[in-house]
Amino acid sequence: MIKVFLLIILAELWGTGGQILYKKSANNVDTPDLRNLSSFAGFLRKIVCMPAIWAGMALIGVGLATWLVALAHVDLSFAFPVDSMQYIMALLAGHYLLGEKFNKYKVMGTLLIICGIALVALN
Amino acid sequence: MRKNSLTLNMFLLIVLTDIGESIAQLFMKTGLNQTGMDSVTFANLQMFFQANVSNAYIWLGIFVYIINFFLWITILTRIDLSIAFPVGSTSYIFVPVLSLFFLNETINPARWAGIALIVAGIHFVSMSARLKKREA
Repeated sequence: MIKVFLLIILAELWGTGGQILYKKSANNVDTPDLRNLSSFAGFLRKIVCMPAIWAGMALIGVGLATWLVALAHVDLSFAFPVDSMQYIMALLAGHYLLGEKFNKYKVMGTLLIICGIALVALN
Repeated sequence: MRKNSLTLNMFLLIVLTDIGESIAQLFMKTGLNQTGMDSVTFANLQMFFQANVSNAYIWLGIFVYIINFFLWITILTRIDLSIAFPVGSTSYIFVPVLSLFFLNETINPARWAGIALIVAGIHFVSMSARLKKREA
């Protein structure tokens, strides 16, 4: 069980790493106007040329594969609550790696979501 | 528009990617049910690939995932990861509620409590985004 637990955490670390690379890439692009096709097309052209986007996708792919391996060994009702740890990781990564600030609402809200997911997944 | 403001449009866009994710999963599951190949091992990897690569639902699922990916990057151009990520947990609300209406599944009180906690959590995280905007 502890091995599977660590495997799920590992899957989340890969996934969070991927999201960090996505976010860093997205910070260097202007928000496209989704109602304007040429604006969106320009946005697509820009992001498919960014190596960090592809690296992020690769990390998320590895994370997904790791998650699937873990799932083969445990029940979803165990896996989902553990998986919600990724919200903590996103919070920490945001603060320490992306310069996003903590505040009490964000921390409290994130913890509530994690408890909520655990309740939904366990029942 | 200002950086880092969780406008209603941005919030709805996050909800849209959650819905997209659920739809993509539904397509994938339908496809896997059709081909009868829903478990992957190293031994059957090639067979798994061959059986599923010609399935329309699998491709529909992939297509929705690709659209979703571009929408997610669009969201990240404006919203903090530590805000967009938790707000993107609305599928934990939609899936049980839609199952209640369309699949006649029941939701027990503990699940309702969980859903209520998620709603409250999303509210607080969104609030922190607005707080930041005011301070900025």
